[in-house]
Amino acid sequence: MQAKGRPVLLKTQRFALRSLKPSDGSERWMSWLRDPEVMGPLNAPVRAWTSQELRAHIAGADNAQRYLIGIFDAASQTQIGFFMIDADSFQRRATFNVVIGEKSWWGKGVVNEARAALLDEFFQHRDIDKAVGLPLARNFPAVFNYKAQGWRHEGTLRGHCTSALGGARLDQYQFGLSKDEWAAARREQKQ
Amino acid sequence: MNGGEQAKILLAEAINCEAAAIPDDVRIGGFDAWDSLAHLRLVLGIEQKIGRQLDADEAIRIWSLQDIAALLG
Repeated sequence: MQAKGRPVLLKTQRFALRSLKPSDGSERWMSWLRDPEVMGPLNAPVRAWTSQELRAHIAGADNAQRYLIGIFDAASQTQIGFFMIDADSFQRRATFNVVIGEKSWWGKGVVNEARAALLDEFFQHRDIDKAVGLPLARNFPAVFNYKAQGWRHEGTLRGHCTSALGGARLDQYQFGLSKDEWAAARREQKQ
Repeated sequence: MNGGEQAKILLAEAINCEAAAIPDDVRIGGFDAWDSLAHLRLVLGIEQKIGRQLDADEAIRIWSLQDIAALLG
């Protein structure tokens, strides 16, 4: 798929965020897909993708309906994770998913630092009015991040997902954040 | 030991700090040491203490020491 929208290119205090290109498909990224500790909390099956398959997946992001945005450590320029954001231009709604593949960065505030910059970008420059997040109820670190960033718990979707590991169906939460709520949170942070 | 003290000790273990370092009014998002991995350790600690998994309605209610104490019963 040919890129249709403007690529994302942002900086935070510690990270560079940019739309990924097929050439960003790396062995590092493929190793995350094979790691149950990385994929399990997302309820995603481990995948032994080839470089070609990963590059084809990245090429499917068009920077309009689907964004794949890499998170790079600004100091080393190493990719440590990525956001996948699905945008619905009619509903002006974007659904955020994030993977931090590099475990040495877990628990270090990567998600909320990077997501704050993306929320600014999508609300201010990409015509989005509402952000949505759908973590598994037992993905406690992800749930923490939504709460700490001021997203609202809008509902619990009971038995919403089949488990990638088999067994019982899994509960999922819906978190939401409106453009106005985020603007108010930003004003509060500046005070 | 009352529920509030137990809650503070569990959170301190999850954060890996002294219980005395945790403010009584601590809340998610308002105390840097309470990060996402500490939260994972906290929830698993609560579950170990009560001997069962929290359900989705219980886990979403955790914001403060009072909420933790309520789950500990």
